[in-house]
Amino acid sequence: MRGFELVHPGSLAEAIALLDTDDDRVRPFSGGTALMLMMKTGVFRPSRLVHLGRIGAAHAAIAAGPNGGLRIGAMATLTAVEHSADVIRVAPVIAGAMKRLANVRVRNVACVGGNLAHGDPHMDLPPVLAALGGRVAIAGPQGTREVAVEHLFSGYYETVLGRGELITEVELPSQRGWTSAYLKCTTRSADDWPALGVAVSLRRAGGVIAEARLVVSAATEKLTRLAGAEAALVGAAADGTAFARAADAAVAEVELVEDARGSADYKAQLLRVHLKRALAQAVNDGAVS
Amino acid sequence: MDASETARTIRFTLNGRPVTTTVESHLDLVDLLRRLDHFGARESCGQGLCGCCTVLVDGVAMSGCLTLAQLVDGRRVDAVEGLDRGGALSPVQQAFIDEGAFQCGFCTPGFVLMTHQLLERNPNPSEGEIRDFLAGNLCRCAAYPEIIRAVKSAASRMRASAAA
Repeated sequence: MRGFELVHPGSLAEAIALLDTDDDRVRPFSGGTALMLMMKTGVFRPSRLVHLGRIGAAHAAIAAGPNGGLRIGAMATLTAVEHSADVIRVAPVIAGAMKRLANVRVRNVACVGGNLAHGDPHMDLPPVLAALGGRVAIAGPQGTREVAVEHLFSGYYETVLGRGELITEVELPSQRGWTSAYLKCTTRSADDWPALGVAVSLRRAGGVIAEARLVVSAATEKLTRLAGAEAALVGAAADGTAFARAADAAVAEVELVEDARGSADYKAQLLRVHLKRALAQAVNDGAVS
Repeated sequence: MDASETARTIRFTLNGRPVTTTVESHLDLVDLLRRLDHFGARESCGQGLCGCCTVLVDGVAMSGCLTLAQLVDGRRVDAVEGLDRGGALSPVQQAFIDEGAFQCGFCTPGFVLMTHQLLERNPNPSEGEIRDFLAGNLCRCAAYPEIIRAVKSAASRMRASAAA
């Protein structure tokens, strides 16, 4: 690594001002676990890192809302999310996904906002938050705005975040009546990056699936909502026949990426199998909150 | 940017002793510890996967290889060299020796510090909890069965001495 300027803003406004530049070698730095890898390999050579540590505490709160929703500050560490009583109660699927996300040391320092802003399609948290209907609050030079997590990613390691913008919070809508599951498949070793991630969230009413949010990640260029598979489920009974129909629709509608973890055909089979399993798990294990 | 232009003087506590030193922006915590003649934290994978560079910062385990040295300014850093400050090995260190929980020893400081962190939070972990907590520490000699036994042994020793 080469030398760079490491600055420590004392407020969100100051951080945004320091990031508001045309220099694409200026980046925010929270836990830093992902950026450090890019810096050590020379993929990213910063001119300035804007360290968010001094403003972290003000943006790290995790709190259940009065209506069954949840707010997670962008600077909450993944360990804080993993052990949060509110997360475990409102969205246990998030806490469950943490157990196999990197390792204790990485979770101790990596933060929710950076996990999303990094834009890496192999991350576990983004598909889970997208399936739960999450939205991110974004602050930038022009003020604040909100974006659904499913629309945050514009490509491989690319997001819709603009110059000087920071994610400040994740907000989940009410999870009452919804059940969820997340499955990932690693094809080389248990701690490898996933070849496939599948997050599902279902709301059942009157003996049928009333609403469904299904998301695939890792096997695709960016996390992708499976609209065709969702349509195959809505109005149907939550059984193996419907799940198989959804799995076929999912395979037909997404473009899967071939890489070292498997061919596109192989990943199609992984998607078929894991989507059915995730749906069954959401129905069988997911306690209706 | 020239590395010397980005150097800063930082002050922190290393194993209870105050340290003042000047570090460049790109230096990581493992490199800093080596400069200070602390060689227990080793860079092995360099990617935060293997746990050989485990260091506690303000009591929280992190990978030294993914931690910028300038960011420990004002903080408390504990490396494996501080565990026998009282003149005796820590119960975890002693348990690793008694159970023969290593061969080459390269990964051992990381396993020992992670075990301290685990037992501080969970004095009586199940085998599953031990495995989950140590999943990010790799032992290429594959001393895992002995390591699990050492963690259980250290846990019971520490519970016994806490009760005494």
